[in-house]
Amino acid sequence: MKVTDKLIASIDKKLERFDPIWRAEHGQGGQRSRYYDKTGVAKYREWRGTKDTLYDYSQWLKNLYSMGKMIVNAPIPCLKGFWEYRWMGSYLGTFMFIDRLYEGFRGYELRVAHMNTHAIVKSLTERIALILSNDKRLGGGPRSDDFLPFDEVLPALFLKGFKELIPFPHQTLPEFIICDVDQHIEPYYIDVAESFGLPADVCSRCAAETGVAIDDAFPIVGKAFLSTNMPCNASESTSMFQRRRIALPDFPVTLAMRHNEPEAKPYSTQMLKDAIAFIEKEYNVKYDWDELFKYAKLMNEQNTIELEKWDFLKTEHSALCGIAETLYRLYSWASVNGSDPYFNKVDRKVIKLMRKAYEEKYKPFGGRTRHRAFLWGPSAVYYTDFPTWVQNCWGINIVLNMDSTMGYNMINTEDPEQAIKDLAAFSEKATMRHHAVGGWDNYNAVWDWAKNFNCDMVLMNDNIACKGTLGLHAVMEEQARELGFHFIFVEHDLEDSRTVSRQDMRKCVNNYMSVVLGEEPLDPTIVEFDDSDAY
Amino acid sequence: MKKVIHFILKLLGKLMLVVLLGFVVTFAIYMTNAENKLIYYVVRPLLNKHYDAQVRDRRIC
Repeated sequence: MKVTDKLIASIDKKLERFDPIWRAEHGQGGQRSRYYDKTGVAKYREWRGTKDTLYDYSQWLKNLYSMGKMIVNAPIPCLKGFWEYRWMGSYLGTFMFIDRLYEGFRGYELRVAHMNTHAIVKSLTERIALILSNDKRLGGGPRSDDFLPFDEVLPALFLKGFKELIPFPHQTLPEFIICDVDQHIEPYYIDVAESFGLPADVCSRCAAETGVAIDDAFPIVGKAFLSTNMPCNASESTSMFQRRRIALPDFPVTLAMRHNEPEAKPYSTQMLKDAIAFIEKEYNVKYDWDELFKYAKLMNEQNTIELEKWDFLKTEHSALCGIAETLYRLYSWASVNGSDPYFNKVDRKVIKLMRKAYEEKYKPFGGRTRHRAFLWGPSAVYYTDFPTWVQNCWGINIVLNMDSTMGYNMINTEDPEQAIKDLAAFSEKATMRHHAVGGWDNYNAVWDWAKNFNCDMVLMNDNIACKGTLGLHAVMEEQARELGFHFIFVEHDLEDSRTVSRQDMRKCVNNYMSVVLGEEPLDPTIVEFDDSDAY
Repeated sequence: MKKVIHFILKLLGKLMLVVLLGFVVTFAIYMTNAENKLIYYVVRPLLNKHYDAQVRDRRIC
């Protein structure tokens, strides 16, 4: 043992009473003891032992640097953005969000989690600086008209063939990402939408997007807009409201909904071709297949690594787990989609660490995992830091979430005709279309996913405003019983935490774990607590 | 030569002092969660007051 290791071991021994995991194990408190009641504000940061605390600190500095860089690169647009957009203020909760996500993380799982999270922070800060610098509402910039805004559930990869343009997912910054960071931001926009007569029983994501449009809170960029056939009536409705308010020439990229049928493929392929023709006409630019192939190679590499990650995820020695896995895959697939080489760099680093952890037979969370669960959960699992909480409280490791199962087919990088067919298949397997409303077989695949990843449990988020999936409730319960999975429906109202609070969501799990399984929590301080004022 | 070495050592000493001070200050902010407390209790309430006072161009089309 080296002298430094001895020194660190001695410091860790002396300070272990400040470690919330140690405190929970010794009946002296736990994770929640660090917090001011209701707020989600910690009195002090988590002591994770010398090495892990210093590592966490170094990553805090790294994220701080990215945010500082954003301000330095675009000081006036950023200030104007904070002044103009309510949703910009919510990004100030990012540090608190990251702290919550990785409570209880140590060793390899902490390192992998921070690598993934920093990629998201870096990408987001760059995007915020870029769009605010070119937002016509704030004075515009040199590239305002080069932006190609598109609906966020449309994968951007096929748009990378336009070298001169900046494809930009329109709803991502004001709605899709920020609802994960701050549970209070979307209710404001939902209220705006409802004050105009929108019924209160629709999907809160769609209501919030409508509210952003009515409140005139979307940045103004680009010369044309690509919408898509979002997968439910509420989504169709918000597309219409946004179309009216944005008032740009638009093209609905209506990919096949029941896309698992082979007959659907030619239709979706033609749709992408038509979308490309529309953009060529509106922006007076030419599609460049070589440019597309460059980015398709990046996406192919990410997906190749993803499939290798899955092999490790099937074991109990995966360094990548829980929210670090699902949030990263969601962002890197749905928002980045092969367009940023930094994500490839991170993937290469992460897979190396995962291989190392596997060779060492490393068990994350100190081996305290009792159950392996497949999660079927959207935004509500992020602002509640749900995967982290279920691990810390009940020892349930979220192995994979539905967000991680989106398009992983490879794209041909030599033949344009084959490439567009591959892109169509890839684009059909996107957010929502691949999950809830793209056909019953997508939904039913939850059992195969759970079985293939050696899970004994399935946690199914039950969006109380999603009419399509509500009809499947009883069928899923029945199937779980037949197949022998522990199965928990977790009710939520997606982005409206006023209807179903975070504690109400946790209660669904608490009841099952204590009443049905008769298990004791790992950390009693986080079984029941009020964090209604937390971001 | 001696003068140059002396200058470099002095510069390195000062640099180390700055790094050490930087570490102490930022680590103290980090451990006490000071930046989040400032954001939660001061910055966001002020920003929210401003947002609530905004007159926005609310309409459907």
